[in-house]
Amino acid sequence: MEKLKRDFNTIALAMIPIAIAINIAVGQIVKALRIPLYLDSIGTVFVGAVAGPWVGAVAGLLSNIVWAFIFGDVTNTVPYAPVAAAIGFLAGVFGKYGWFKSWWKAVLGGAITGVVASLLSAPITFYLFGGVVGTGMDVITAAFRSQGMSMLAANFLQGLATDPLDKAISFLVVYLIIRTLPDRYIDRFSRADDIR
Amino acid sequence: MSATYGLYVSKQTAIHRLHPLTKLTYVLTCLLIAWIVPGVWAPYIVLLVGIVPVALMAQVFPNVVQNTIKTTIPFAISLFIVQGLFWTGGTIIQQLGPFSLKEEGLLFAIRGTGRIIIAVSGFLLLSYATRSDELMLALSQKGLPSRISYVILSTLQIIPRFQHKANTILDAQRSRGLETEGSFLIRTRALLPLVFPLLLGSIVDIEERAIALEVRAFGRSGPKTSLLVLHDTNRQRLFRRLLILVSLGVIALRIYLWLAPRFAA
Repeated sequence: MEKLKRDFNTIALAMIPIAIAINIAVGQIVKALRIPLYLDSIGTVFVGAVAGPWVGAVAGLLSNIVWAFIFGDVTNTVPYAPVAAAIGFLAGVFGKYGWFKSWWKAVLGGAITGVVASLLSAPITFYLFGGVVGTGMDVITAAFRSQGMSMLAANFLQGLATDPLDKAISFLVVYLIIRTLPDRYIDRFSRADDIR
Repeated sequence: MSATYGLYVSKQTAIHRLHPLTKLTYVLTCLLIAWIVPGVWAPYIVLLVGIVPVALMAQVFPNVVQNTIKTTIPFAISLFIVQGLFWTGGTIIQQLGPFSLKEEGLLFAIRGTGRIIIAVSGFLLLSYATRSDELMLALSQKGLPSRISYVILSTLQIIPRFQHKANTILDAQRSRGLETEGSFLIRTRALLPLVFPLLLGSIVDIEERAIALEVRAFGRSGPKTSLLVLHDTNRQRLFRRLLILVSLGVIALRIYLWLAPRFAA
């Protein structure tokens, strides 16, 4: 409990809005460059790494809720908030065990997070939206489905086609940020010792 | 403080003046009915009876229609293709080259689209007619931690500034000769020079924000006074209780419909 209080200090609460804004801004840059990835959880992963799993989870959860308020789209945001929370949480867990200290461990941690994210989002896509996400990604789902695969399995594989790579890159970017920032900025965060 | 309330459209209507919780409960009740009452057309009835009249009263009907269509169309197309054409088994109603349109898949897609329309239009109606700071205050009064509402509200204020910053970086890097158009490789290479300045610059800002909060006694416990005052009436409180009763009734009906055949068998 004491530790949780230290994680949710003022610096963490000042950081969460910035992290959400990073998620949205980078997500838009990636869209503008027409790169077929999302990269919309870099802020969440950063928060998880420097402030622990619980702050990371809150950042992910709130990120998806705020996203709905900004763009007026509740479909691809609020229902997937638990997935975003899991991403922030896992970033915190990997941070705790020092996985942000080496680039390949960060990439591996991101890939694992991506697999978990596709496992969690498949049932949401399936039960809430009848198995579609309303983007070009649905072509992949349709292709697996036409092979006679169940909808839920097709949804999982559709996630697997993008999420692990997407999260691996996000984790790598966060690793690079942590390396680039001067020590005195990292020192402010509660989990600074785990990631340097 | 700059006034940013997300999607809020400032109008002087009776709907805008309602207590935020009244609107929130109403929209959630509509959503619940549309999603769990059986029948392909249930969501469309909720739309016509529940959402459209309120949107007209709040004078945000064109905004709601426009944005709902924008969000729903890609879903509808995907649903009709993925479920209509690739439904396993089912009654074939039309042969389309190598694919066949199935009745069950089509009905599923119509219902799915209706549910999405309700979720999107209900949320839009709520956010067009409710200031997000008033909604957060109302939720805080019901027990939502004030730190959570701080995070949500300050994010809504930061984001326009952030998008501005992102555009500045984009322009600056382009003027230095960074190519952001062209082949996939060129566009991917442009990613890091655009993302890194934004990330590093904003993370450095965090400390300053934290200090600004601390000197305003943000971390202090105890009750806090709000500048906003929400107006609530007894009629609205009654209406909200009624809505909750209706919701519970609908849930009970759904559980009954689900259990009855199992007990009969």
